[in-house]
Amino acid sequence: MSSQLTVHLSILLFWPVAFATLGALAPRRVAPVLALIGALIPLGYAVLLLIDFDAGRSGSLQYVTDAEWIPDLGVRYKLGIDGLNLWLIALTTLLWAFSAVWVALRPTERPRLFAFHLGLAETAVLGAFLAQDLLLFVLFFDLMLVPFYFLVGQWGGPARVGATIKMVIYTLVGSLLMLAAAVATGVLAGEQSGSELTFVMSDLVRTSLPEDTQRWLFVAFALAFLIKMPAFPFHGWMPDAYRNMPLPVLAVFSAVLSKVAAYGFLRIVLPIFPDASVDFQTVLLIVGLVSIVYGSAMAFTTTEVRLILGYSSIAQLGFIVLGIFALRPEGGQGAILQMVNHGLVVAPLFFIVALLSERSAGSESIRDMGGLATRGPVLASLFLIIALATLAIPGSANFAGEFLILLGVFQTKLVIAVIAFTGVALASVYMLRAYIRTMHNRTPTNVASSDLSVRDGVVLVPVVLVILAFALYPQAALSDGEGGVKAAVRSAQAVSEGKQNPATAASAAPEVTP
Amino acid sequence: MDAVRTCAWMVLLFPLAGTVVIALLGRVLPGKAPGWVGTLAIAASFASAVATLVNLQALGEEERQVRAVAWDYANTVGVDAQLSLLVDPLSVLMILVVTGVSTLIHLYSVSYMGSDRGYRRFFAFLNFFVFSMLLLVLAGNFLILIVGWAFVGAASYMLISFWYRRTTATGAGIKAFVINVVGDVGLVIGTYFIFRGTGSLDFLITFDAVEEAFPRNDGDLVAGCIGLLVGAFAKSAQVPLHTWLPDAMEGPTPVSALIHAATMVTAGVYLIARMHPLFERAPAAADVGAIVGCVTLVIAATIAVVQTDLKRVIAYSTMSQIGYMVMGVSAGAYAAGLFHLMTHAFFKALLFMAAGSIIGAMAGSQDLDRMSGFRRAMPFTFGCFVIGGLALAGVPPFSGFFSKDEILTYVAARDDWHVVLAIFGYLGALLTAVYTFRMIFRAFLGEPSPEARELEGGHLHHAEVHTNPATGEVEDSDVGFPGPEHHIAEREGSMKIAMGMLAIGATFAGFLQIPGVTHILDTFLEPTFADSIYFEELKPSDTVTYGGLLLGAVLGLLGIAIAYALWVRDPEAPGRIRQRLHGLHGFLYRKWFFDELIDGVIVRPFAFFGRFARGTFERLVVNGLFVGGTTASVRAGSSAVRAAQSGFLRYYAALVLVGLAGLGFYFLVSAA
Amino acid sequence: MTPKAPSIDFAAISPLIALLTGACVVLLLGLLRSRFARTQLVPGLTIVTLGATAGLAIWRWGENTSVLSASLRMDDLTLALTLLFVAGAIATVLLAWRGVAPREAGHGEFYCLLLATVLGMVVLVAAQNLVAVFIGYELLSIPLYVLCATELRREKSLESGLKYLIIGSVGSATLLYGLSFLYGATGSTDFSGIAAAVRVSDVGDDVLFLTGIGLTVTGLAFKASVAPFHQWTPDVYEGAPTPVTAFMAVATKAAAFGVFLRLFDVALIGTASTWAPALAVLALITIVVGNVGALGQSSLKRMLAYSSVAQAGYMLAGVVVSTQLGVQAVVFYLAAYLLMNLAAFAVIVVRERETDLGDDMAAMHGLGASRPWLAWPMTIAMLSLAGFPATAGFFGKINLIQAVVENDYAWLAVAIVLGSAISLAYYLRVIAAVWMRAPGETGRARAVPARLAASGRPLIAGGAPEADEAGGSRAAGDRSDKEPGAHAAGEGRAAEGPEPGGLPDPGHAAAAGRTEAADPGPAPAASAGSALGRLRQPEVVFVALICTVGTLFFGVYPSPLLDFARDAGDAFTNLF
Repeated sequence: MSSQLTVHLSILLFWPVAFATLGALAPRRVAPVLALIGALIPLGYAVLLLIDFDAGRSGSLQYVTDAEWIPDLGVRYKLGIDGLNLWLIALTTLLWAFSAVWVALRPTERPRLFAFHLGLAETAVLGAFLAQDLLLFVLFFDLMLVPFYFLVGQWGGPARVGATIKMVIYTLVGSLLMLAAAVATGVLAGEQSGSELTFVMSDLVRTSLPEDTQRWLFVAFALAFLIKMPAFPFHGWMPDAYRNMPLPVLAVFSAVLSKVAAYGFLRIVLPIFPDASVDFQTVLLIVGLVSIVYGSAMAFTTTEVRLILGYSSIAQLGFIVLGIFALRPEGGQGAILQMVNHGLVVAPLFFIVALLSERSAGSESIRDMGGLATRGPVLASLFLIIALATLAIPGSANFAGEFLILLGVFQTKLVIAVIAFTGVALASVYMLRAYIRTMHNRTPTNVASSDLSVRDGVVLVPVVLVILAFALYPQAALSDGEGGVKAAVRSAQAVSEGKQNPATAASAAPEVTP
Repeated sequence: MDAVRTCAWMVLLFPLAGTVVIALLGRVLPGKAPGWVGTLAIAASFASAVATLVNLQALGEEERQVRAVAWDYANTVGVDAQLSLLVDPLSVLMILVVTGVSTLIHLYSVSYMGSDRGYRRFFAFLNFFVFSMLLLVLAGNFLILIVGWAFVGAASYMLISFWYRRTTATGAGIKAFVINVVGDVGLVIGTYFIFRGTGSLDFLITFDAVEEAFPRNDGDLVAGCIGLLVGAFAKSAQVPLHTWLPDAMEGPTPVSALIHAATMVTAGVYLIARMHPLFERAPAAADVGAIVGCVTLVIAATIAVVQTDLKRVIAYSTMSQIGYMVMGVSAGAYAAGLFHLMTHAFFKALLFMAAGSIIGAMAGSQDLDRMSGFRRAMPFTFGCFVIGGLALAGVPPFSGFFSKDEILTYVAARDDWHVVLAIFGYLGALLTAVYTFRMIFRAFLGEPSPEARELEGGHLHHAEVHTNPATGEVEDSDVGFPGPEHHIAEREGSMKIAMGMLAIGATFAGFLQIPGVTHILDTFLEPTFADSIYFEELKPSDTVTYGGLLLGAVLGLLGIAIAYALWVRDPEAPGRIRQRLHGLHGFLYRKWFFDELIDGVIVRPFAFFGRFARGTFERLVVNGLFVGGTTASVRAGSSAVRAAQSGFLRYYAALVLVGLAGLGFYFLVSAA
Repeated sequence: MTPKAPSIDFAAISPLIALLTGACVVLLLGLLRSRFARTQLVPGLTIVTLGATAGLAIWRWGENTSVLSASLRMDDLTLALTLLFVAGAIATVLLAWRGVAPREAGHGEFYCLLLATVLGMVVLVAAQNLVAVFIGYELLSIPLYVLCATELRREKSLESGLKYLIIGSVGSATLLYGLSFLYGATGSTDFSGIAAAVRVSDVGDDVLFLTGIGLTVTGLAFKASVAPFHQWTPDVYEGAPTPVTAFMAVATKAAAFGVFLRLFDVALIGTASTWAPALAVLALITIVVGNVGALGQSSLKRMLAYSSVAQAGYMLAGVVVSTQLGVQAVVFYLAAYLLMNLAAFAVIVVRERETDLGDDMAAMHGLGASRPWLAWPMTIAMLSLAGFPATAGFFGKINLIQAVVENDYAWLAVAIVLGSAISLAYYLRVIAAVWMRAPGETGRARAVPARLAASGRPLIAGGAPEADEAGGSRAAGDRSDKEPGAHAAGEGRAAEGPEPGGLPDPGHAAAAGRTEAADPGPAPAASAGSALGRLRQPEVVFVALICTVGTLFFGVYPSPLLDFARDAGDAFTNLF
């Protein structure tokens, strides 16, 4: 394997943590500035990547960094961008910038340490998205938890310690199984191909493991990802964690970390375990389906705004799972698009939660809210725009995503698609319920309605503008994603089509390796 | 070609610009300026629509289907969704009606909403609605159609719950939105079915491909068309997805006039007409549409007879009239259906405006029982209401007469069992006349009510306490909407103009299509329906035509006579009848129990499921079984280990022996 | 040339010689009057000795020679482990520098014993025949028994010493018994001889032989504290002076696994098929017992004791596979384990001297805010022990997993990861104590032992029974359930993993937490973690920081350590 080294991605990857560290050591006054630089420069970098990215070759890695790292373990330091992760990286940097501005304008106590953990988290997430080596991915995937453990545990709500430990253990149970499975994948693939031990994904894709091996490896990976999302029924850690997480953290956590898991399916599971993916297709589709219905049902019965968003995220991720396990390009495209969309809407929603509770005497229950629109037309309209986007109203990019996802499922498993549509209807129920109960109706006595301050506008408006722009032109993400998604689902699709009509299997099999 | 495209885009852009300007600059615009900005935007849009018409007519017959593409929207992996418009006679007809009526209603609202603190918001929303509606009718492919479809739903939601301090308003809003989303879902599923066959989302491509893609009455195609119908029913308030429309009357009256009478609710009719190549390929689905339309028109008419809320009566009449249109277009009487759509837009908008004027005079109350004798107090309103009523009742020579009869005769001419539908249609026509003039007689004739007297005395009635007409709960008007002031046509020039022009339309629009004399619409719509198998062939025989006309006129007058007999000559009669048939009356008054039905079948079960999931499942399984189970077992092990850790060496030694024995045993076994 | 007397390759055994002489010198210096000589010179000289040993070991690196008529083998494995012992010992000296133990036991004696132990360890891991094994074993054990009891005025120290002595001698006896059986079965004391015998004859199924293996395993399992022979570990670890505990944790374990590797991967390699499954099962048991036992311990030393049991389980898995990769994994893990444990113990030492809370979890409260230089080492150490990425522990685990998977012990790999999943419950609890609790948030000092004594139990009993009596199902562990905030829903419980049942209402939890924190708790002794003021003890902090840096460095760039371990593994030429 030739060792090529373009430094771009490494800069993008380590910039945040570098500046976070500087900020943690720097004197109080300059610290916030450094934190902002640490968050904004990567955003600029990502935008440049968006512009420079060659959509034509989105099926193959670009800006590859590939260097020897730990020869004894066969681990390489390989980063790369293709259609799968390009927009997710853009999303990550954007939302971290969003969160950084947020905390810069509304500082927490011990801001420098806070900023440090936030920066470390960004690096970890970016690493998980960029990693093209299985163990490198696992490393960053597990590393993501550490800063969030501290962020929740030190700046969180009343029951923070319990919540954070619960979250870490619950999610790590999955991740550690994945760790074992990842190592096993590399070793077994090595034995399979007889070549020396490697964890580089592009190599692992080429060796097709025996089906039963694929099965248990698949299960381990799927478990890790489903817990991380979380998907029903592995969301036991979610309510406590959401209740106690500081909002700026929750924004990025809910918006981005879940996507890492979904991305893992597309990047690792489908290409490396195609047979198992086909075997478990129905199971995963049903998991997604139940997540949609269950999440929606919970979302429109709970009264805590955070949890409404939390459970709605479960439902949204259910859709993404559906899209991925449609095992078709449409579904995959929709899934990617939807990951970006959901991130874009949920982060500002959590900011709005902060504003709402400010106006209703610190309460975050819709029981104590209402009529907030009367003195806050701007806030109300921004909230309405985001809410409509969240419930995937046609015309929003979210709808384009769901349209493709469900089209993909429709093509493979018609019934599941039709049932999944109940989720679409329910989404409108719980989002509008949340909007009406907070913004409309009579004003309770403890509520003091007031409009968006300029300071808050600085945080909120840019993201809303991005949402609107994206609603007008989702094609941007779609055309970048196409090649990557096709490459990701090709082998699995080939297998499933082979299963359906063995005649085409012969023709499909050879072009399994991308 | 390009001229057409440019004009079409301008038709869309003006309302959008209006929305943005009002929303962003609303604060700096003085007084009523936002209203005028909005009105001008729509007027400009209307002008562009006319320009589009002219340019389109300039083209050759077969060129009158122009696609205008802005950019790729979701064009990937085989999905070919672009941001594209389709300009053809059908869409042009729609944009003319929409922009025309909208302009007048904006004009009306400038004064009607004048004293409402939500004035700016109102016009921003209203413009946004017009934009959405235009997007819907101009859409060039399924995706954009769905977008417009959902946007009008959203706009309708915003305007229904415009007075959002009223829980009734917000409730009605979410109800309307959700039912409309159900419609969207139907539309999307239908689209999927069709896309699976034709492999394209673009209208023209789909229509060309449908022939070879699907055999006649193919399962997929029928399913797809049913899906489309679900969308149409939800939007056009057809049974059983109609329950949101009466509640939607929570919105300000101009909203009811524009959205819930003239434009949005007719989208379903437009959809079926637009999709005629599909429906003609799947007659089974078309028949479903026809039957549902017929059922709706009857049910709605019967309910309208007994309702006492002025606006709701008109709302049910709207449902009923749309039933006619849906029946018509489903049966293949496209021109007739669209003709009625147009005339209905005129006279129904007119009726609502007049109703709004009365409600103004009643200081916000909409209760028919409290109104009476406004004839002398509000001559102009009375006049307009009567014209609208005559048109609605189908009395010659008013517009409704011609359009409704054209539908019925065409349906009758379709085939034998459609005749049955036509008969029900005439029954409906009778009821229509009855409930229409029930309103008129009760509101305008008879002893003047206190409000009417006050108005004759030259003073517009004011309610000292503002109450929600639906629930009677006292408004908290600290936020200023609904505004304390009220406005009536007699005193507002702009309202007069708007109503006057609509009255003219309602009176004379019928002359576009006088059987045997004029068929302007037919010829105009020709290019769109060139590929239709019914458009040319389906023609009722002259006997049917003129017999129908006669029958229609007779029934209309008969209905008026009945209404006169019941509510003017012998005002006690209705009470007596109610006593005798109070079972039936209750059934109709409770609207055939549709709300209760839906509530019991869908809402409650799901709410229960939600509560169960939250209260029980989450606790017992998700946390109890998974988390708790694991934790418990681990903790059990932990305490076991610690129990063994007693600190006494003898116990330790014992355990050592156990372990040693175990090992020894293993090795011996493995040796043997 | 035909030598009469066995020729002695002094160069090869120079490390041993260095240690031996050092021990004597230190002992003699200890007799000096001058306070300086005793308190400064002696430890200094000890360190010099150890440094010299290390230097010699590095000098001899790569020369794999058998010495003393092939009774010892000074190959890279021996040297590698020697370096580990030395590192551990140096750290111990630094930790003990201002400690109580040397003062009370006499500096000369203390450090002499320490050096003697190291010597024993080297002999043990270098041993090439059964006799040498036993000599090394005893030479390592006996001084340790004494070292454990060196805090003469603390009965717990004495108790631990006594316990260790008794149990330890049971272990030695068993081992001796086993070795003799092996000899009896194979008629040879040399590893090579045994290996040969195994290869040629079918002694592999011989009952005598197998029993021998069983007994030997038991004997070594004692030292490695492998369940179910681990029970002395928590008690002794808790009772012994913390520097000694640290030394035992890192060095003794290394020695035990060194001889495990030698004995099983050289002498008994022929019968791997018979003993490997047994060891695998032992490993599984050990992982479970260790991790589960550590839950809810509020004495940090106890907790680390159990954790060391668990880690022993992981390493045993590496022994099971008996491949060079396995050896490499074990050695690497030992090294990483040394770094992270020393960091943790160093912090504990500091706090023991600064607060009157001893090694109680409460001593860590609020460290993050007040003492970052202590907080970070503790945090990193715990993360590394839990196997988080970017720490040496992560690659240690990966390396082990690779080894076992390669040998078709995938289920053992799963056991390892699940074990570490459980382990998070107690490691994260420490971090929570460091960062997420206020210093005031401490309720109790040593109130419990009184109750234990009252209940007629030895001082360092597990204490669990009474905890279970007291706490019932809600008991967060033997003592932690008396820890404030433990009652606050979520906290105490979550300390041992996700809490069962309904989600706690945060508000209520908060209230509970606050009230708990508010009242001073049962024991007045603990006045807000009562810092006795900061003592200047740079050498201890230095140890903590060095080890932390090492943990992080090898967590990001493990290759040097991996090569080091691989060389050690290559010592086994007979492995595949």
